[in-house]
Order: sequence, then C-alpha cells, then structure tokens
Amino acid sequence: MNPLIQEVYQTHHIEEALELLKRFGERAKLIAGGTDLIIQMREGRVSPAVLIDISSVEETREIKEVDQMIEIGSTATFTQVETHSLFDRELTAIAQAARSIGSPQIRNRATVGGNICNASPAADMLPPLLALDALAVLKRDGCARVIPLSDFLTGKEQTALETDELLDRIRFRKIPDKSGIGFSKLGVRNALAIARLSMALYVAWDHEGCCCDIRIASGALGIKAQREWETENFMAGKKLNDALIDETAAFLEENTVKRLAGRSTLPFKRHAVQGVFREAFDQAMRGPDRRIKHATDIL
Amino acid sequence: MRQTSFKVNGETHTVEIQEGMRLLDLLRNTLQLTGTKEGCGEGECGACTVIMDGQIVNSCLVMAFQAEGKEILTIEGLDLEDGTLHPIQQAFLDEGAVQCGFCTPGMVLSAKALLDHNPHPTNEEIREAISGNLCRCTGYNKIVEAIGEAAKAMTKGEKDRGTAHRGAK
Repeated sequence: MNPLIQEVYQTHHIEEALELLKRFGERAKLIAGGTDLIIQMREGRVSPAVLIDISSVEETREIKEVDQMIEIGSTATFTQVETHSLFDRELTAIAQAARSIGSPQIRNRATVGGNICNASPAADMLPPLLALDALAVLKRDGCARVIPLSDFLTGKEQTALETDELLDRIRFRKIPDKSGIGFSKLGVRNALAIARLSMALYVAWDHEGCCCDIRIASGALGIKAQREWETENFMAGKKLNDALIDETAAFLEENTVKRLAGRSTLPFKRHAVQGVFREAFDQAMRGPDRRIKHATDIL
Repeated sequence: MRQTSFKVNGETHTVEIQEGMRLLDLLRNTLQLTGTKEGCGEGECGACTVIMDGQIVNSCLVMAFQAEGKEILTIEGLDLEDGTLHPIQQAFLDEGAVQCGFCTPGMVLSAKALLDHNPHPTNEEIREAISGNLCRCTGYNKIVEAIGEAAKAMTKGEKDRGTAHRGAK
C-alpha cells in the first residue's frame, strides 16, 4: 500500500496519457511494467501523487520493420523482444540483452521504454541500442521530436525527457552485410542478475578486412550507459586481427583505470572490461553462424 | 477509492480499491485469496507469482488499478471444483517438492505457465522457467523433477482423454 498516491489512470491511447501528463505535470509519473517504479516508490525515492498507466496502450507495444528501420515501441516487454523473429539472426544481440534481464516474471512486465527512461548505468538494453545508434522518438501534446539515444541519456538516472513528454518508441537502422553486433554481460548469477559490466559492439568491415565502421557501448562502466568514443577511434580504419583485439583490450583497460580511479570496483573491472570486449567482438564477427570457430576467420 | 473490474480464477469481480494498492494487496486483503504469498516485496523471490493474461507476473510489482480488465489466475483457481488437485500440484506432492510450502504457490504457477506454452520442456527449460522463484528448502531438484513428471502426466492425460473421446464416438 502506498498512501501517497491519490489518483490513478489506466490509459489506452497515447493521446490520453499525454493529456494527463500535461494536466498534472510534475505530480504525475508514468507507469508501464512498474518493475522499477514500484520498488522506487516503496523505498521512498519517488513519491508521485498521480500514476498514469500506459501498460495497456496497444499502439506503443509494437515491434516492426519500417523501410529498413526497426522500431521498438516503448511499452514492448522484454519477453516480446527476446522472442521476436526480427531478433533471431543478425540482431540476436538485442534478444540476448533482453533475455539477460531479471526473471521471466520481470521480463513479462518490464518494458524497453522503462529500461531506457530509468536510465540506470547498468540498464541491459542500453548498450546494444547505443551500439546500433538508435534514435529516441519523444512525444508531447501535439508534437514529436527525435533525438539520438546517446543524447537522450544525460547522466545517472537522468534523461532529456521533459515532464510533459513520453518516449513513444526507439528506432535504428538494420545492419548491412559484412557487419555484426555482439553483446556480453557479466552478472553475479544467471537469473535476476543486475549487470556488473556489459558491452555491445557493432563492427563493419571492408573487402580487405579493415574496420570501416565501429560503435562500442558499455553498461556500468561509469555514471551512465555510454558510447566508448575513444576506443572506437582507436579501432577505426585498422585491420581487424588478433593483434588489434589485444591492443584494444589493453587500451580499454587503460581507459577504465582512468575513469574508475579510486573506485572499489576498479581492480575487478579493469580485467573484466577486456573479457566482455573480447566476447562482444567475437560474437559481432561470427554473427549467427556458429560454424565459424575463430572470429577473424570470416574476413 | 476507485472501482475496478477484473477476472480472478474465472470469476468477474468489481471491487473498490485504494489507489496505492498493489495487485498482491488486492488478492490477499480484499479478496482473501491468501494462497498468493508475499516474500520480498520487490520482485526477487517470486512467492507472489500469479498468472495475468496468460503470463506469470510478480503481483507485488503490479498496481491493483493496472489489473483492470485483466484475467488473473491464482493458486486457488488451479484445482477442480471437486477438490481434485491439478496434475502439477499432485506431482509436487508425489515427488516431495514441497517442504515449508511458502514458495509452492508461485512455483506451481510458474510451472503451469511453462507447460501451457511448452508441454515437453527439457530440464534446462524447467530451470529457466522457475528462475524467478526462490526456494530455500528443497534445493530445487525435486521441484524440477515434479514439473517433469507433471508434464508427462498431463500429456498422458490428454492422450487418454483423446482415446476415450474417440471410443465414445
């Protein structure tokens, strides 16, 4: 029981939710799966007077392909993502990230939009979406705006979302031939594990086996899930081979030492970051074809 | 207070709820369906698991008003009217998968949701399906065995019923 909640609304259309957001402003909070919000309310970290439920809105639950772009509605659940046919081949990293979250009970309720808007540094969906250069489509009464996900995430549990705005969906381009995306997560146990460290890596290569496009994103390696721009620049244009992977792993370690200086997790993360990088890279190169034994054999 | 309508165990209910109530409070306190347990209250232990619109959810992480229009199955809705246990419940007893019993309602419902979608699960799939339900007594092996046995019994039951039906023709 939460005695602070005075009014609740179950909405079935986004317009309805937007109108309510406009009316109640900061007194209101959107609730979808509720798997984070209800705990935050219980701990007294947030105490909204008004709850606006969007978990029954159908239009934002869809996952679909539109003109070479993939769109994931903000109230699509992780169960929907992990079982969707769009994510069973080249984009399996997305399904894998969704599957690594919580328990079946949590995945049946928790939504992609909730994971993004709560903006935990350890949010599991963020690294793969950042590595795919996803865009966030935000709506408010009467208008919409589109911003890169990396700009949407402004800090620890901070986003660019205005009080009368909601995240409608995210979208990203399908990945071309000669490219791949991988995801790796370290948690303390298989089920229910909150990421201690995660990484997603998108890489594209040319006919000579050189890295012609690279996007790396990390989770729980700083105050927010973020792009690893320096590491991307380090790899860009270079020949993809074992030597480069070793050099990049060392580069990442150096970066982590700088970023996490003084933190108790540093002795663990400086090594772990190399492991998740290698695993994500390996998976990105091999793609869904498990016959390829060694990542760079594909080149 | 506000009114809300939903189905629990096949029966439609329209009740007054408080805005800040969770589905778990509604089931236990308003409807007196105390088979659904509260363990951690934060979605870790799965003792409060119920099936909502065909999927297992932690009822401690669903607000009561969010259940408007939904169909909910709790442990009380599983056995037949004459008191015959559901094959999963029977298998839990037969295999010794119940010790203190606190996790059992949630565990049985997670098993039911699994077997509804996947009648022939592997042990791995069973373990994954109950990964959101903690048990501090059994060590899980007997639970996994019970769910495997329930799957067999349910498949056999269907076959028998199919034969009976054909025979009646």
